[in-house]
Amino acid sequence: MSPPTGKTPAGEEPADDIEYADPGLARERTELAWTRTAIAFAALGAALLKFRPVVGLLVLVLSAVVWRLGRLSGTASTADLRARLLLITVTTVAVSVVALVLSFLGPGIVSLR
Amino acid sequence: MTDQPGGRDPATTSTDDDGTEPDARYTFANERTFLAWSRTSLALVVGGLAIAQLLPPFPGIPWGRHVIGTPLILLGCAVSVISYLEWKASQRALRHGQPLPRSRLPQILAIAITVIGLIAAALALLSAVGVP
Repeated sequence: MSPPTGKTPAGEEPADDIEYADPGLARERTELAWTRTAIAFAALGAALLKFRPVVGLLVLVLSAVVWRLGRLSGTASTADLRARLLLITVTTVAVSVVALVLSFLGPGIVSLR
Repeated sequence: MTDQPGGRDPATTSTDDDGTEPDARYTFANERTFLAWSRTSLALVVGGLAIAQLLPPFPGIPWGRHVIGTPLILLGCAVSVISYLEWKASQRALRHGQPLPRSRLPQILAIAITVIGLIAAALALLSAVGVP
C-alpha cells in the first residue's frame, strides 16, 4: 500500500508542480518532528534513570518506539495515527504522575549523593 | 489532491474517520503541531521535576520548590492531554472541510507560566528577605 501522494523517491527529480513535490517534504518534516519528540523522551528517560532506573529504562525503550513510529508517517489510517499519538499523550501523563510522586517522595526515598 | 492515502475506505471505518481524507500535507501539519506541543509538555514535566528534585531548597522556605515544580508538572500533563484533544478536533474539522477550531493552548500556557513565574519571583524575594 503506497499512498499516491507524498512519495518522493530518493534521487528522483522533484515534480515541476510544487503541489506534488511538497507532500514529500511535509512527510520529511513530520518524521523529523517525531525524531525530536523521541529525543525529548530519551532525554527524559536518561534523567529519570538517576531517580528511578526502572522507569527511566522504560521511558528510554519508549523513546525508541516513538522514533520507530515516526518512520511510519503517512502510511497509516486515521485510526492508526490516533493510536500512535495517544501513546505519546498516555506516556506523558504517566511520566507526569511519576514526576509528581518523585517530587514529593523523592528526597525521602532517593539519596542525592 | 483527492487521493486517499492509507487505502482504507472512509465509509466503512469508525465515526472519527467519516468525512473525506484531507490533503496529506494538512494531516502532516496537524500531526507536527501535536508533536510540538508534546515536546513542550515534556519540557514542562522535566523542568518541574528538576526544580523539585535538583534545586537546593529556598532558605527558610522548604516547600518553595514544590510550589513551583508541582504546577509545572501538572501544566505539562494538561498540555499533553489538551494537545491530543485539539489534534483530534482539528483532524475532524479537516475531514469535514470545516474551519479549524481555535487552539486554546497558547492562552493556557501563557497564563499558567505567567502565574508560575510570579510565584517563583515572590518566593525568591521572600527567601532573600528571610520573612518566614
